[in-house]
Amino acid sequence: MENLEALMHGFGIALSGNHIFLMVIGVLLGILVGVLPGLGAPNGVSLLLPLTFGMQPVSAIILLSSMYWGALFGGSVTSILFNIPGEPSSVATTFDGYPMARDGRPTTALATAFGSAAFGALAGVVLITLCASWVAQVALAFGPPEYFAVYFLAFASFVGMGGTPPIKTLVSLAIGFALAAVGIDTVSGSVRLTMGIDEMVKGVSFVVAVMGLFGIGELLIAVEEEFHVKAISSKVEWREVFRTLAGLPRYGWALLRSAAIGCWMGITPGGPTAASFMSYGIAKRLSPRHANFGKGEPEGIVAPEAADHAAGTSALLPMLSLGIPGSATAAVMMGGLMIWGLNPGPMLFVEQKDFVWGLIASMYLGNVVAVVLVLLTVPIFAALMRVPFFIIAPVIVIICTVGAYSVSNSYLDVVLMMGFGVLGYLFKKLHYPLAPLVLAIVIGDKAEDAFRQSMLMSRGSLGIFFAKPLVTTLILLGAALLLMPVIWRTIGRMMPRSQVKP
Amino acid sequence: MVSGRGLEAATAFITGAFGAAVVVSSLDNGIGWSAAGVESGTFPFIVGLVILAGSMFNLVQGWLHARAIVLGPSELKRVGMLFVPAAVFVGVIPLIGIYPASGIYVFGALAWQKRGSLLLAAAAAIGAALALYLIFELTFQISLPRGALGTLFGF
Repeated sequence: MENLEALMHGFGIALSGNHIFLMVIGVLLGILVGVLPGLGAPNGVSLLLPLTFGMQPVSAIILLSSMYWGALFGGSVTSILFNIPGEPSSVATTFDGYPMARDGRPTTALATAFGSAAFGALAGVVLITLCASWVAQVALAFGPPEYFAVYFLAFASFVGMGGTPPIKTLVSLAIGFALAAVGIDTVSGSVRLTMGIDEMVKGVSFVVAVMGLFGIGELLIAVEEEFHVKAISSKVEWREVFRTLAGLPRYGWALLRSAAIGCWMGITPGGPTAASFMSYGIAKRLSPRHANFGKGEPEGIVAPEAADHAAGTSALLPMLSLGIPGSATAAVMMGGLMIWGLNPGPMLFVEQKDFVWGLIASMYLGNVVAVVLVLLTVPIFAALMRVPFFIIAPVIVIICTVGAYSVSNSYLDVVLMMGFGVLGYLFKKLHYPLAPLVLAIVIGDKAEDAFRQSMLMSRGSLGIFFAKPLVTTLILLGAALLLMPVIWRTIGRMMPRSQVKP
Repeated sequence: MVSGRGLEAATAFITGAFGAAVVVSSLDNGIGWSAAGVESGTFPFIVGLVILAGSMFNLVQGWLHARAIVLGPSELKRVGMLFVPAAVFVGVIPLIGIYPASGIYVFGALAWQKRGSLLLAAAAAIGAALALYLIFELTFQISLPRGALGTLFGF
């Protein structure tokens, strides 16, 4: 009940003309970056970041989070209408969304996607409303060892459940950690890993990495795959929208299951992309109509969309209450929080009540705004896809360059960004995940500090991680997740091959 | 043409070299335990070792299991046609500044495609440079690099 009261207070903050305006701007910009190949939610949010420095933190986070919702929806639009996923997390939506649209039912496909997405997002926000402050309360009692254990658990779940080759995930994570360590060490004050370049003392900003990895890298992938834009009629028939939305409860079970998968993957940082693929795979296996998957089956749209948005939304829960972002975009937002002078983590719920509950309330409103706006603007953004790629590409390169430069007015950052671009392209091509790298850059220092403080407490003995039941449980859980890939492979070997591949 | 093996190996070499550099560099900061706690090189040292070991694993795995060809000649050409101009654009920024560089970049991209007139391309180029100036320099007061050329003209 206390939460409900706080939420009402939050609505009081979020429901101002200024904030609704920011939501609309944020959602529209979000749909734009979601639709454009090469620009995604992490880039969009990083690009907006410098523009928020003069704002109130609560207004700034409303703008950035609305952009995130918009990007999640925008990614689905191009997946369905053009068979081009605007966001990695909407790849699974193309499997059934595009066939359905191609068969002359684009409105049904879009409405199914947006309806399920809204349900998924709602599930995520409700979870945050109910659990976030409770988690924060538990976390208030955390000491450095507990924190390190939670970080360990978060990173282990990437390796164990990210759905990418585990050792590649590990390398990606470790590179992020190393990059986080570049510059001045916060504990001892000594300079680390500058490789003889004096300017590197300032460290490697996550914004620079995001611009290169997600911006330039994605662009190179997009140009290589040479997409053929086969436009399907993008006219939205409103009667069909309402008819489809009214029919969604038929997929109630699939919606609930997908939202649950999404929430789980969002909180333990598996991320929206892994969530949507996992949800699609499970739906395909369990559905009685599984032969119809890939040919325009509605459940094949419901499952990835609900999971994608549930994961995207619930990724903010650990960011707010523990200071651990659940996705790459959440990591960028958390970077913003730190720049605005807020300290993400349990103290936020004590010291910044207005900020936290204003944000949570805005998540309800922002998603409603996003659904309405995305339906209204589908034809406009669909038209944007007809702008030839050779015009869009230089614009995106210029935007990323300016974005990287403006972090600290440094040309070195621009050069680094191009390097990250090449790395991002290679990583994407070879199925290395990018999100762990960004996450590790943002919270690498905190994880290291937690480890070193724990070591100071125990005078250098690792035994401190096994001293109390909570820490031990978290560490063991993390270790189990790390070993998951090995366990799966062993099970796979023991079972006959026909049963492993359904 | 680039084979899957080649690409896997190249990536593993890049990550491995980075890991090795991190390991060597962190030795300067000291690893292990001192009177002030864990020394500042320890964490990067461990992380560097993980990168190095993981890269070696990926190298072997990539060699054994990679697909035959991942990049055909036409794909390679398209990637090059995006990357080379972008790299040149970034490369000339310190010389001529971001405004002329963006203008030339946009003009070049449009003119290269030979669709639409050169006049249109020139207009788009000036438009792009102007938009950058208006949005960043004027509205948000973020000063962008002017390059050696800008300094020469006192801009």
